[in-house]
Amino acid sequence: MSQDAIGLTELQQDAFTELVNIGVSRAAASLRTMIGTQVLLSVPSVEIVSRKAAARLIGEREAAPLVVVHQDFEGAFAGRALLIFPQENGRELVRAVAGEELSPDEVAALEDEALAETGNIILNGCLATMANMLQRTLTMSLPGIQRGDGPRIFGTEAGDADSLVLFLYIDFSVSERDIRGYLAMLMDLPSLESLRALVDEFIARALGDLDA
Amino acid sequence: MSGPDETGRIGAEALAAAVAATRHRAGAFLAGLEHSRQPMLISDPRLPDNPVVFANQAFLTLVGYEAAEVVGKNCRFLQGPETDPGAIAAIREGLRAERVVRVTILNYRRDGSRFWNQLLICPIRDEDGRLVNYFASQVDMSHVHEAEAGRTRLADIERRLAEAQRQLSLTLSSAGIAGTWDWDIQAKRLHVDGRFAALTGLTPAPRPGTVPLAPGPLPASAFFTGIHPLDRMRVRLAVSGILGGAEVFDKEYRLLASDGSVRWVHARGRCHFGADGRPARFTGVLVEVTEQKRVEERLRIAQSAGRVGAFEHVPGFATVAASPQFCSLLGLVSARTVAASAVNALVVEGDPPLLAPDQRQEGELPPIETRVRLADSGEVRWLVRRGEAIRDTETSGLRHVGVIYDVTESKRAEVALRELNDTLEARVREAVAERERAEEQLRQSQKMEAVGQLTGGIAHDFNNLLTGIVGSLDLMQTRINEGRTQNLTRYAGLAMASAQRAAALTHRLLAFSRRQPLEARPVDANRLVSSMDDLMRRTLGERVQLEVVVAGGLWLTLCDPNQLENAILNLAINARDAMPEGGRLTIETANAHLDDAYAARDIGVRAGQYVCVSVTDTGTGMPPDVIARAFDPFFTTKPLGQGTGLGLSMIYGFAKQSEGNVKIYSEAGQGTSVKLYLPRYHGEIEVGTEERGEAPRAERGETVLVVEDDSTVRALVVEVLHELGYRTLEAADGPAGLRLLQSASHIDLLVTDVGLPGLNGRQLADQARLVRPQLKVLFMTGYAENATFGNGHLGVGMQMITKPFPVEGLATKIRSIIEG
Ligand SMILES: Cc1cc2nc3c(=O)[nH]c(=O)nc-3n(C[C@H](O)[C@H](O)[C@H](O)COP(=O)(O)O)c2cc1C
Ligand SMILES: Nc1ncnc2c1ncn2[C@@H]1O[C@H](COP(=O)(O)OP(=O)(O)OP(=O)(O)O)[C@@H](O)[C@H]1O
Ligand SMILES: [Mg+2]
Repeated sequence: MSQDAIGLTELQQDAFTELVNIGVSRAAASLRTMIGTQVLLSVPSVEIVSRKAAARLIGEREAAPLVVVHQDFEGAFAGRALLIFPQENGRELVRAVAGEELSPDEVAALEDEALAETGNIILNGCLATMANMLQRTLTMSLPGIQRGDGPRIFGTEAGDADSLVLFLYIDFSVSERDIRGYLAMLMDLPSLESLRALVDEFIARALGDLDA
Repeated sequence: MSGPDETGRIGAEALAAAVAATRHRAGAFLAGLEHSRQPMLISDPRLPDNPVVFANQAFLTLVGYEAAEVVGKNCRFLQGPETDPGAIAAIREGLRAERVVRVTILNYRRDGSRFWNQLLICPIRDEDGRLVNYFASQVDMSHVHEAEAGRTRLADIERRLAEAQRQLSLTLSSAGIAGTWDWDIQAKRLHVDGRFAALTGLTPAPRPGTVPLAPGPLPASAFFTGIHPLDRMRVRLAVSGILGGAEVFDKEYRLLASDGSVRWVHARGRCHFGADGRPARFTGVLVEVTEQKRVEERLRIAQSAGRVGAFEHVPGFATVAASPQFCSLLGLVSARTVAASAVNALVVEGDPPLLAPDQRQEGELPPIETRVRLADSGEVRWLVRRGEAIRDTETSGLRHVGVIYDVTESKRAEVALRELNDTLEARVREAVAERERAEEQLRQSQKMEAVGQLTGGIAHDFNNLLTGIVGSLDLMQTRINEGRTQNLTRYAGLAMASAQRAAALTHRLLAFSRRQPLEARPVDANRLVSSMDDLMRRTLGERVQLEVVVAGGLWLTLCDPNQLENAILNLAINARDAMPEGGRLTIETANAHLDDAYAARDIGVRAGQYVCVSVTDTGTGMPPDVIARAFDPFFTTKPLGQGTGLGLSMIYGFAKQSEGNVKIYSEAGQGTSVKLYLPRYHGEIEVGTEERGEAPRAERGETVLVVEDDSTVRALVVEVLHELGYRTLEAADGPAGLRLLQSASHIDLLVTDVGLPGLNGRQLADQARLVRPQLKVLFMTGYAENATFGNGHLGVGMQMITKPFPVEGLATKIRSIIEG
């Protein structure tokens, strides 16, 4: 992990990782409630990479086409949050959420709707919790669905390849189901800057609280 | 135990007096002594053996004796088998020194029961300081003493327990089982077990071998006690994450002990949420991983030095935990987790996948070698994967833990080596083929050479035959020209016979060159051997004496006659070669019975009736090691280019093919006999007719002696001479010719063949000249027998004519010699 340290100190990175951990835990709890089986999640690792690198990271890991649930957020910091699945995993997730007895046709019909719904729960849960921890509020747009490969998802085709992406690996491993996902947050530099300031505040608070 | 019956030994009056004296001395206190609850007694040391003179009721109750049983006795009656002799000695010593004695001694009651007696003995003196009495008090200390013993036992048990605990704690720590914590978030209290407290330094390190005690509830901040300053922030952040709603806590950090030593721990925890969804409890396990860290570090160094990539994968889970080296070996961007499908997608189609989720059995993962197409460069490399499927303690599912490493170079080397081996094989094959070609060529050339060797003899024969043919035709022509057409058939017959023999010779030549297909026929070996006579003599040359001994009543055999002829010829050549200075060659035929004993000695030979053809020479013979190998193809002792070493091997092959056998009997310096056995044929032979022309005889003019072993040539020459008006004499070989020459017969001219068996033409002429110095000689020569004549100068009256010759030429030559 070398290219991830752009502008973040180790402590900031740790703090951010914990923020994501909190957010994702919430999201996983919601997911667990929805699916009813165990959802294992790994402690996320956080990297800040260029869009190009993010596209490559995804491309390397996923040969299959991807499906993405995205939501834009605005507030103290702004950007776009992406929940990325291999397309097959997306279907599996729909099945897990909507019911095992669905026929493939039904799954296909329901897919986008169910994915948007599930993605919203995960992303919203995650972002809202993070914002809450940072003592700020965010407004979230409605979720959208997108399909394609890494470059398409990260908009590297449309230029802008060097802007930064906060890249989070989170394994949502739903036991006995081949489901995994990645979380990514696309932010421009000013947004990342304000996020950094908020993280510093969070650090101060976190350390202070415990001393009290 | 001393019995109370000893009383009798002390004088009753003395005792009574002593008792009275004591009571008197006690005076007013006596009642107090008597009624005290404290057992007491008094003895009188001035009486023999210091007997008891007073004992109170409390004492009698304690020991269970009557007063009468006690008074007048020494107190040792209270002692018994387990009383400590040391204690008794201490009393004795105290009494001797007349001082106060304090001792706890095991005593026995009257009923035999035991009690611990805390005894105090005090000397009593009179006004003058003289010892008059001993006063003693006894306290039953059994309860105390028993407790004491119990304590000792307890201490012993405790010691053993501690040892066991020490062992246990050793086991626990080596098993990585460590401290636990339970953080009550609402109450802000931290509960930890003893090991957590000891690890973090919350409580002092327990004495070795003991189990650390859990401290009581602690303030929540105690969780951070002992954490290394460099890691404290990190851990605090992570904890604040938990307090803020994060679910998973998984951190490695350092602990700094008060003595400055650093230990690594791995804390794994989980947040439990209350009914309101808020974090309620934070529990987890703290494991010391210092050693593991060290090992890991070493492993990491070893892995990156050895370019070994490590991975951990739970089958069924989508992701793999990977080491940086793992990623780099696959050309992936370094990351801690990668997708299993992405890893396997790099594997070249048809090769085994690196991650095998279907391996659901505990134990070693089957090692695999697989090719991957690197994610970054697309280069194809060979990787080896090894690993183990381990039962996961947390999930109780299987975890695949393994390593991969690059073996492309060794694979390449392997391939190169294999290629080298392959080409080596090919090169060897080529070389062998080339050698075989060369050998075939050699064989061919040697065969040609052998043919060449034969050519001498054969050319000779051929010339004779041609002479016969040409001469006959010549004569016929002359006669036709002269209009004398009677007897023409005779000349035609002669010409025909010669032509047929020429054809037979050609056939034999073909047989020799093995262009003749194998054709087994009933064969009369006698006739075959006899028919070869000429050929043999030519082949063997003049130095070798040929004897043919044919058996009467010889059975027929079934074989290819050409091959048999070839075999006999080969044997004859071998024999000739073994007799460079000449010798005798015997060809013999016989009927033979091979018995079971013979058959048993030779594999593949059946007992039964055979026709035996043996070829025996008087040559050099063979030592045993040559005999052993003589049948081997290409085995030869002859100089390079002179022998192919195939002769005997072909004979062997022929014999075996004909279901017969061949054997060598030989001794170095003695000669060799090769016996060829061919199976008996029960049947008839088709009789072929062979015609031979008779030489005509007519008498006119001078007498000419014709010595010629070839009867046709001889007949022809004789006929020519008759035609020319000469008288003729004939001889078939040298000796016969010489006999005639040495006789009184009138002979004007000797016409002789040069190549004659036994005595050649030149020798014949020379010997004849001894008796007939004026004898005129005409040599007929076919083949390079000129050597016989040295530089080629012939003596006076000697001429030479080369076969084949025209009749005209012969007549001219003869006339010129006779007239000259
Ligand atoms: C006054 C007096 C009281 C004694 N009481 C006891 C007693 O209660 N138990 C006992 O074992 N010995 C008692 N002894 C000690 C024995 O009588 C005796 O002196 C001791 O066994 C040593 O002497 P030995 O070696 O001759 O036996 C007492 C001695 C005296 C003088
Ligand atoms: N009659 C014999 N007396 C002594 N040695 C013999 C005799 N026949 C064969 N040998 C030995 O056995 C060897 C093998 O004989 P073989 O006929 O197979 O081959 P060759 O005579 O050497 O060659 P080729 O027959 O092709 O001219 C000979 O070289 C010779 O040493
Ligand atoms: Mg030979």
